[in-house]
Amino acid sequence: MSSAGTLHGDAAARDPHIPAPTLDRPEDYLHAESTLRSWFFTTDHKRIALLYLASITAFFVIGAVAAGFVRLALVVPNGAIMTNDTYNKAFTIHGVVMVWFFLIPSIPNTFGNFLIPLMIGAKDLAFPRLNLASWYVFMAGALFTLVSVVLGGVDTGWTFYAPLSTAFSNTWVLPALIGVTIVGFSSILTGLNFVVTIHTMRAPGMTWFRLPIFVWTHYATSLIFLLATPVITIALILLIAERAFHVGVFDPAYGGDPVLFQHLFWFYSHPAVYIMVLPGMGVISEIVPAFAQKKLFGYRFVAYAAIGLASVTFFVWGHHMFVNGQSDLASLAFSALSFAVAVPSAVKVYNWTATIHKGRLRLDTPMLYAIGYIGLFVLGGLTGLYLATLAINQHVHATYFVVAHFHYIMVGGTVLAFLGGLHFWWPKITGRMYSEPWGRISALFIFLGFNVTFFPQFILGYLGMPRRYATYPPEFQLLNVLSSAGSTILAAGYLFPMVYLVYALWFGRRAPGNPWDAKGLEWETTSPPPPHNFSQPPQVPEVPYDYPIQAQETGRQHT
Amino acid sequence: MSADCIGADPVGVTRAEHFAAVAQQRHAATLGMWAWLLTELLLFSGLFLTALILRLLHPEAVQAAAGHLKFWIGAVNTVVLLCSSLTMSAAIELSRLGLQRLMVGCLLATASLGLLFLVLKGYEYVADYEEHMMPFLARRPYALAEQPATRLFVNLYYVATALHAVHLVTGIAILLGLTWKASRPGFLLRHQNWIEVYGLYWHFIDLIWIIAFPVLYVVNR
Amino acid sequence: MRNPFHALGPQALGPQDRALLWSRLRRPARTFLALLALLAVNVTLGATRPFAQAWIVELAVVAVMAAIIILVSMEVRHEAPLVRLFAGVGFFWVAILFGMTLTDYLAR
Repeated sequence: MSSAGTLHGDAAARDPHIPAPTLDRPEDYLHAESTLRSWFFTTDHKRIALLYLASITAFFVIGAVAAGFVRLALVVPNGAIMTNDTYNKAFTIHGVVMVWFFLIPSIPNTFGNFLIPLMIGAKDLAFPRLNLASWYVFMAGALFTLVSVVLGGVDTGWTFYAPLSTAFSNTWVLPALIGVTIVGFSSILTGLNFVVTIHTMRAPGMTWFRLPIFVWTHYATSLIFLLATPVITIALILLIAERAFHVGVFDPAYGGDPVLFQHLFWFYSHPAVYIMVLPGMGVISEIVPAFAQKKLFGYRFVAYAAIGLASVTFFVWGHHMFVNGQSDLASLAFSALSFAVAVPSAVKVYNWTATIHKGRLRLDTPMLYAIGYIGLFVLGGLTGLYLATLAINQHVHATYFVVAHFHYIMVGGTVLAFLGGLHFWWPKITGRMYSEPWGRISALFIFLGFNVTFFPQFILGYLGMPRRYATYPPEFQLLNVLSSAGSTILAAGYLFPMVYLVYALWFGRRAPGNPWDAKGLEWETTSPPPPHNFSQPPQVPEVPYDYPIQAQETGRQHT
Repeated sequence: MSADCIGADPVGVTRAEHFAAVAQQRHAATLGMWAWLLTELLLFSGLFLTALILRLLHPEAVQAAAGHLKFWIGAVNTVVLLCSSLTMSAAIELSRLGLQRLMVGCLLATASLGLLFLVLKGYEYVADYEEHMMPFLARRPYALAEQPATRLFVNLYYVATALHAVHLVTGIAILLGLTWKASRPGFLLRHQNWIEVYGLYWHFIDLIWIIAFPVLYVVNR
Repeated sequence: MRNPFHALGPQALGPQDRALLWSRLRRPARTFLALLALLAVNVTLGATRPFAQAWIVELAVVAVMAAIIILVSMEVRHEAPLVRLFAGVGFFWVAILFGMTLTDYLAR
């Protein structure tokens, strides 16, 4: 350090503690310290976000490889490529890793962690040490589970339904359950931190209706973390006790009721869909106005829709259980309430489209992902209405129609939003620009590959192919091969960003503070931001999304 | 320094770097604990719901099983926890007055009452074991084996009380650590609100037991 | 300060301080007595089982005890509206959990 310092003259000579890289540019959180200790024991929310980013990317790769095995097995109808056992273990790895270790922490723990303090003008989250603890809890639980599902193997699927998981499966269910339970605490701690931060740490002048929608959707997500996660924790604890000690509450042999497990499971796991979707909606609500250079249409409606979704989602869990023996009254109530979810979802989609309308559109990489998101989310959302309909659900329950539906939401929605957000905030996070042409190419690959993979699955499910089976009638082979072929295009689309984004870390052009002419406090500070986010206290603008083009809204002025 | 004169030592909270004001920091700590308590409430609610469903599905078996629980030990334990709530509340009031030694005494009393609860709970488990009321032990005969559905409620009783005991053990461990820190000079000047925030947690695990006692022992008798 | 057990009693305080101390401790003491009385009601009902619907009274008594602990012992009465909201919202979500699950079990 000292030899580099002397090159830069007096400052370093006077104070050998100034790190070399900060001499020619403003101090930033990436270069403030460089020891391993300064990363693994950091309490800086931005560094913790990067710890999460690295870990969930690794988990995504593992989950994607498992998906590759599943698609490979389904190329032939007779299950000749791998044993049924291996197939069951592959789809369980895919489900467990993708749901619990990628989708749920994906956007909140990376971008949420990085951006919430920046967006509200705070120095850090309210409880920085808790934030770090949350990452360690996450890694401990995730690695523990990973060892059980990859080395040991589990064949229950990510849903762990009793009595398969408690009485019949001869695989490593117990350690997997313990690991998933531990990971739940990480979600709770993160949600707690976000809720308290958003309530108490906003900069002077940052009122609720000046907050970016990203913060609103993360607030809604955090409420779900807090209110839903404990119920899955207790469901999993009961399941662990059931498997280890034959407690019996989920075991029909003693008069227990497996449907009770499903109630407790889906009380969390349906809202968990919105843990995965809402943060993505927040990302899209930031990208769309920036690349249309237009004020977000109907700001208050979009904000209320986030809270609305987070509330309504707690009343609809029974739509996963229409054919599982719950009462007709319950099915009727859950079906009717499920339709209500469409309203706030549609509000968001209409508002994004209205924001694009007559905007000054720039089709850069983040915007390509955002547009892809809107289209795929509409398709995934509308097929959700089919599934909420009792009569249609009887027909397509537990078929590939359901698989296609939730992949349109989870991959078409959340993963595209994640990648869009990654490209949008990459300059802010790393201080470097990535290759724009490669960004656009990969966005197109992902959009094409995704549709080729999953659209055939709608047809397969409608024709009656059940999910989770290793074999199928030969007449379904064409569509299955098409789907598997699409997954290779999708895989290429995922690989490109891993290469050019990492390349950009060292060789990318240096990013200015605000490369997209975007609004929001995170663009007011330098790229990458200094350790405490702002070198001077940020000035909160009076109107959020104050872009040059304003929509011709009639009626009450939104402030 | 003598702490035994009210107002002799000022009481307060030192601001951490990332907060703008002490009031903000105190508010965040209280809100954070309440957010955590929300999750605790929903955690135990899952067990209370299971108890209710068992009662709806198997009313006779649940009544037969609840009749074998040690009602009087449960009642005495509830009194023990009410006493510990009293000493905790007293510790909070004393911390506000700056009476550090008295406060430390109250905290130690709270931890001891928590331990007494665990001892009584352990005695109850031993009595249950001797009466063959542990159906989850595969090799030990079960007293109500001719009514298979009773084992659901009895086992649920163990899950619920064990989970509560885990919270109490954690609570006592944290309380002892806190007491050790709180007995050092100047603690109330820097971290007075820790006592208040911890008090919320202690009151809440008492509250969970106060709900669990009737749900498990009383209403099904 | 080395030994926290030293001079634990309030005798070391002056008369004014002692009065202030007791005035502050009156509220916890009263709360404790109220909770003890309510518990006594429940224990009596549980021990004697006077009528079949006693469980309704018992649950009502528990609800009152819970309210006292949250409002008085945990000082929610004096907290900011936001904290009061947080204290209440959990019970609303518990109601959702119970209510929606019971649409299944009560209608089977």
